[in-house]
Amino acid sequence: MNNINNLKSLELTVGDPFSKTARLKARNVNVFYGNNRAIDNVTIDIGSKEVISFIGPSGCGKSTFLRCFNRMNDTIDSCVVQGEISIDDENIYDKKIDVVPLRARIGMVFQKPNPFPKSIYDNVAYGPRIHGLSESKQHLDYIVEESLKRAGLWNEVNDRLQSAGTGLSGGQQQRLCIARAIAVSPEVILMDEPCSALDPIATAKIEDLIHELGNDYSIVIVTHSMQQAARVSKRTAYFHLGKLIEVGRTKDIFTRPQHNKTEAYISGKIG
Amino acid sequence: MNNKIITPLEASDKVKKSIAKRRAKDKRLKFYGRAAISLAVCFLLILFYSIFLKGYSGFFQYYVTLDINFDRERIDPKGDLSDNSLFDGEASAIVNESLFSIIQPQGRKAKKQAKKIVSSGKDVRITKMVKNDPSLFGTITKVKFALDDDIDSFLRGYIKRETPESERRISNKVIEYIDKLNEEGRISYEFSDYILTGSASGNPEMAGIKGAFIGSMLTLSVCLLIAFPLGVATAIYLEEIAKKNKITEFIEVNINNLAAVPSVVFGIMGLAIFISIFGMPRSIPLVGGMVLALMTLPTIIISSRAAIRAVPPSVRDAAYGIGASKLQVIFHHVIPLAMPGMLTGTIIGMAQALGETAPLLMIGMVAFIVDVPNSVVDPGTVLPVQIFMWADFAERMFIQKTSAAIIVLLGFLISMNALAVYLRKKLERRW
Repeated sequence: MNNINNLKSLELTVGDPFSKTARLKARNVNVFYGNNRAIDNVTIDIGSKEVISFIGPSGCGKSTFLRCFNRMNDTIDSCVVQGEISIDDENIYDKKIDVVPLRARIGMVFQKPNPFPKSIYDNVAYGPRIHGLSESKQHLDYIVEESLKRAGLWNEVNDRLQSAGTGLSGGQQQRLCIARAIAVSPEVILMDEPCSALDPIATAKIEDLIHELGNDYSIVIVTHSMQQAARVSKRTAYFHLGKLIEVGRTKDIFTRPQHNKTEAYISGKIG
Repeated sequence: MNNKIITPLEASDKVKKSIAKRRAKDKRLKFYGRAAISLAVCFLLILFYSIFLKGYSGFFQYYVTLDINFDRERIDPKGDLSDNSLFDGEASAIVNESLFSIIQPQGRKAKKQAKKIVSSGKDVRITKMVKNDPSLFGTITKVKFALDDDIDSFLRGYIKRETPESERRISNKVIEYIDKLNEEGRISYEFSDYILTGSASGNPEMAGIKGAFIGSMLTLSVCLLIAFPLGVATAIYLEEIAKKNKITEFIEVNINNLAAVPSVVFGIMGLAIFISIFGMPRSIPLVGGMVLALMTLPTIIISSRAAIRAVPPSVRDAAYGIGASKLQVIFHHVIPLAMPGMLTGTIIGMAQALGETAPLLMIGMVAFIVDVPNSVVDPGTVLPVQIFMWADFAERMFIQKTSAAIIVLLGFLISMNALAVYLRKKLERRW
């Protein structure tokens, strides 16, 4: 596999950042906003069909790092990404790579539910439409229905698919966004604090959903809540000031953290 | 010097003391605001009162009803209703005969004066009538003719009977004739059929705003067709595509500056570039529209950029996140959401362009043009320029015509603004 000895970041990161079934591989990634270094030499693997959570105090760069995987940082002029991130051993920062198909492979769910100001149906159908995924109107209907079902929203909205997506409750909107992301059949779903704007009941529903989706997709979830990380993910990565401090099985991170910073965060001393 | 910690008791005491002063200040601010608004409303009411109440009489004028003998041989000597034949006919003479039979002028001089009572458009009116309805031939029909502008002014009371004859524009004899027509109930005050359908004319009683109105529409259409796509495209490029650097910053500053350039400068530029360099003809709505487009572009760009900036970034994130290309994000999400704001800005710019006179004077749209323009390359004029010209004419009746034209212009403007409000309400989407 990779030549581990060449990786400088290993000196910093405690635990095992590598995965046997790695789908996404990040190697020595640095991210700069102008002169500001937001991510410092991070190396990590994300396995196939695994749920991994990124935790850490505010401003530690976990969201910035997440947005590197589908190149959402491209939309920010001052942002520069160095290092290598690959999906199935294909460098996504290669000049030849087009971000449009990349983002179809790597879906994203945002912190604030952001359905389009369109109908529920059009929200879900938008991705398949622009990528030309459906062969017919019936096929598109099927994709929309399947996606809404997998997002656990079908039973709540099947009688009002043509009403506005923005008219749903916050939790429903977020599940609509998840349905929209899975409608284009991605391989990886990135979730940027998907529950931070939701109430506990809606949060529980989304967490159940993440559990289920974890059987089919690789999911990277950034979260503020350590309990959430413990509930939904198998692996956890702890970030601090742009550095990846510790990665490991969620159980291990929360019960016997190896790095003193991780321990301080887990026990509530920082963060 | 007097440094000590204030106890809560002292603090609340001091707060109480200062509160009266602060309340008074609040009250004064409220009063100033209300005073300013009522003053503005007052002026607006006075403006509308003076324009509409005094100006509406411009839509009316005095007519005289005469019995016309539609003798085919005299009106249409060749009998084919062609322009030539009607031109050779004696329509004017027939009208005069009918008039003379009532007022009985004696002598050549008196007849000459009497002829002028009825507006010189009388023959055109007869020939138009028979063209529309040839069955009139052989009948004797009552027809209304506009009175000459001096008579009109006399009937309105602007020319006074008490003024000595030598200082009056109409003679005692003519006044006598008018009194006679009045006695017979032949003079009426009615909605003018010239003001909305007539064009520029040296005879104020026949002058109308149709030509200028059509000219305004053509000019604005050209302006809209050029300025809207260009402005929106510029705004989209600057907001969504261009990288923020020194060059875009420089362009931005210049666009903001252009919005403040006096409009007459754009007129001079139009004269220098479109007419002198490209050799386009003067006085045509096409050049007028192009000049006004240059003038409104900054307004449209600035408001469109503001509208684009107001589109929530979360919508862009969502679209990019699902793999939409830049073009798809712009056309599927940004433009639909920014459209109400862009349209509002555009209509405000158009309203500005509609009221503009100075740049159009520079490119020769101030010419006296009787024909209604049929296309953007026919010479024409626009409403504000027409108002400007009429306000300058000596004849008393042009004052009323000017007021009427101002009312039409204001009506045009108000309906455009109403359209802007309607479009904004209709296209607005909530998120």
